[in-house]
Amino acid sequence: MNFDLTSDQKMLQDQVRKFADTELAPVAPEIDQSAEFPWENIKKMAKLGLLGVVVPEKYGGSEFDFVSLAIAIEEISRVCASTGVIVAVNNSLTTYPILQFGNEDQKNKFLPPLCSGEKIGAFGLTEPNAGSDVVAMEATARPEGDHYVLNGTKRFITNGGEAGIFVVFAYTNKELKHKGISAFVVERDTPGFTLGKHEDLMGIRATANCELIFEDTKIPKENLLGNEGDGFKICMNTLDVSRIDIGAQAVGIAQAALNEAIKYSKERKAFGQPICNFQMIQSMFAEMATEIQAARLLVYYAGYCKDKGMPRFSRESAMCKYYASSIAVDVARKSLQIHGGYGYTKDYTVERLYRDAKILELYEGTSEVQKIVIARDLTK
Amino acid sequence: MELIVCIKRVPQTAEAEVKIDDSGKDIVKDRLTFDMNEADSYALEEAILLKEKFGGAITAVSLGTAEAEDTLRIALAKGADNAIRIKAEEFGELDGYKTAMIIKEAIKDLKFDAIFTGCMATDDSYYQVGPVLAETLGVPHATLVSKIELTDKKVHVNRELEGGLIEHLEMSLPAVFAVQTGINEPRYASLIAIRRAAAKEIKVLGKDDIASEPKLNSTLEELFVPPVGKRAEFLTGTADEVSARTAEIIKEKGLI
Amino acid sequence: MADILALVEHRQGTIRDITYELLTYGRKLTEKTGGKLTGVVLGHNTDRYTETLKKHAHRLVVVDHEVFKDFNAETYQVALVDIIKKENPFLTLIGNTAFGIDLCPALATKLDIPFTTDCIGVEIADTRVKLTRQLYDGKMDAHVRLSDSSSYMLTLRSGTCAAEEGSLAAEIQKIDAPVTNQPDYKKFIEYIEAAVGDVDITKADVLVGVGRGIKEQANLAMIEEFAKAMGGVVACSRPIVDANWLPKDRQVGSSGKTVKPKLYIAVGISGAFQHIAGMKSADTIIAINKDPNAPIFNEADYGIVDDLFKVVPALKNKIMEMKQ
Repeated sequence: MNFDLTSDQKMLQDQVRKFADTELAPVAPEIDQSAEFPWENIKKMAKLGLLGVVVPEKYGGSEFDFVSLAIAIEEISRVCASTGVIVAVNNSLTTYPILQFGNEDQKNKFLPPLCSGEKIGAFGLTEPNAGSDVVAMEATARPEGDHYVLNGTKRFITNGGEAGIFVVFAYTNKELKHKGISAFVVERDTPGFTLGKHEDLMGIRATANCELIFEDTKIPKENLLGNEGDGFKICMNTLDVSRIDIGAQAVGIAQAALNEAIKYSKERKAFGQPICNFQMIQSMFAEMATEIQAARLLVYYAGYCKDKGMPRFSRESAMCKYYASSIAVDVARKSLQIHGGYGYTKDYTVERLYRDAKILELYEGTSEVQKIVIARDLTK
Repeated sequence: MELIVCIKRVPQTAEAEVKIDDSGKDIVKDRLTFDMNEADSYALEEAILLKEKFGGAITAVSLGTAEAEDTLRIALAKGADNAIRIKAEEFGELDGYKTAMIIKEAIKDLKFDAIFTGCMATDDSYYQVGPVLAETLGVPHATLVSKIELTDKKVHVNRELEGGLIEHLEMSLPAVFAVQTGINEPRYASLIAIRRAAAKEIKVLGKDDIASEPKLNSTLEELFVPPVGKRAEFLTGTADEVSARTAEIIKEKGLI
Repeated sequence: MADILALVEHRQGTIRDITYELLTYGRKLTEKTGGKLTGVVLGHNTDRYTETLKKHAHRLVVVDHEVFKDFNAETYQVALVDIIKKENPFLTLIGNTAFGIDLCPALATKLDIPFTTDCIGVEIADTRVKLTRQLYDGKMDAHVRLSDSSSYMLTLRSGTCAAEEGSLAAEIQKIDAPVTNQPDYKKFIEYIEAAVGDVDITKADVLVGVGRGIKEQANLAMIEEFAKAMGGVVACSRPIVDANWLPKDRQVGSSGKTVKPKLYIAVGISGAFQHIAGMKSADTIIAINKDPNAPIFNEADYGIVDDLFKVVPALKNKIMEMKQ
């Protein structure tokens, strides 16, 4: 049993923290308002190796483990939740499935530009009528000569409006239900692929959340990830990994909300003393800090399970995502409560944190889906 | 080029509340964060920039406790090639002079073209290590260095004087440069560099590796909170109230 | 009979203010010790210096040679080693300036005498010297004792003592230059004046000085607006220049500009002594800072302990109202 970070994890945390505080924090309020995709900072993060954290060096990555990726996502999300999820999607929803299920040609072709920041990645799973119910998806890919013909619409796609490389899911054989879903790597400049509605989100506003529209889009056969029918497996396996990062993002947002609340409570006076002296405030601090630490340990543990090579860690990953996102929403709510009326204005960071936190319970599997994953694993 | 950079791990006190500990001679450090001394991070970056331009190797040296190895490792990740920690815990009380003399003993067998230090450390504010090191090694030095330009055989060095004036010197190597903050933009270490640095060995030297323990120039007798001078008249109330009062004062005094 | 030696600092033909502070401080020490105060002048065409320095010291030791026209720690050290060995003063005082910092540590090491730098107080008791220094970003003071010796050296921070007129008549002793050329390995070339930007903060009546407390470059816009409402301009402390948020010519402090506006509003500046040195002569100083213990409040006439992000916009509005 050892709770210490390794030497390289400590250094990574130190450097990402400094980078986040110096380079990302200053623009976070701005891009929240403008919803502008932070390309400049993405290029800077690429230089540091933050876009391909677990990708081997030979494909342009940094070759770290999944605990390290979670540490990086937490530090980034602590100052900017938008940037946190942009990086998480590039890492665990795009480079990871290509790395895990792609062949050598696919890895050589798609991983280097995703690691170098030349192109950003996105994950096309959700549809207007298929969210938690993945099997309800309507997108189809029909084989035709040396390509597949892709038709369908993907909704709420993080990075969608700016991405260059997409991992997209579609039925190659609808009758086989989930065993008929396949995964494809789709490039942005493919004819027949257009962008639909840009979402005006409540939080994580700078993430270029966008609809993807495929109309007779010809995908070369060599872009099929794995085999036909592997899509569901790829999707579930990928989400097991990416949920660790959403847990890490939640810990980062929650930590920021606690920090803001402590700072404010020391400055704000009521009844002749700083409000941090009041027991009701202190009670909230104790709860918040304990919940954050518990969530962080769940995140690290899920990452550890993946790093250790455990074949199944769906339960651990769902637990960390479910718990961390629900406490993050609660910690943000308490932090806003401590701020009083000021917290409800855009003058205070907590207003943004409160909006950013809510998405955690919705994307990459709602809290309800996480509970199903956990419970099914328990009763199996 | 063979380059040496002296690095100190210091508590970050600029934005923190500082209290005196029970000994009366030190501050309470357990809640403070520690980091590379600010000027030292610029000194390191300056050495890395020179290495990138002219090739060679950088040795980072720190007189510090075991935690200083974390700071040295960051230096390795940013671009240093070797690192040496000298066990501060074996040398008792230190001042700028003794620190420099110990470092000299530790590096005296290393070949060097230039040594970089920060111009001062934020904890003890000595401004001593660079120039003492130069004197004891018998090489020239420049302090408060704000620019270094290496040509064929000469180094053009700017020093920052008072009032925004710059002193331009021509020096030759080997030399010691005590670098001022703002001279460059210290980089972040990339993840790959961090991973490589984690595997590198840090050489650790103790008292037994130093020929003789240098003497201390000065002994700290006590710490105390600076006496309060003429204090401001404090305006209190809500932001609105103090602003109204301030505006009145400005008006009464005819300041704008 | 502890004699004191004080080193005269000059630049571009002018004696620097720190010199008179050192001589005043040295004179006061000799009044207690009963020793003599000797000023050391290393320079070229030194008559212009000695004329004004005479009344400040008991003796002046002068080395007049072209090589000492401008400061070079190497040549100065050669001359001072000779002088200090011969004079054998109990204490040598040097300013804690760009000049003194370059000179003292190496010189004292060469002479093998105890020394320290950046002192803000000196006490002499018998053969011992006790000093006051500031540590930890100026948040702590320390009493430091120099190891026992018959001769000591230190650098004194400017502002430690106000310069006073002297009424002595120094005996002047000229000695030959022990060195006549700058060494090849370290040559003074020239002074470079900092580039002049579009704003001259030394000419403004109202300055709004910003420091670390503004957190982000983006917040400068708010400060600019505030300064505009005040009819003033924005100046800053060193960290803002180091971060490249404002150009060097906006920096107030010992390594930047010395300013004397009618009104100086320090926003989010803790008040490191280097900054104080540049703005303490302002007619009225108002400081806004969250930390009630920030040293800036020891200099300010009026202090506001609050979040600058609340106070600055509120104050801007009040000023705008007042102007209408």
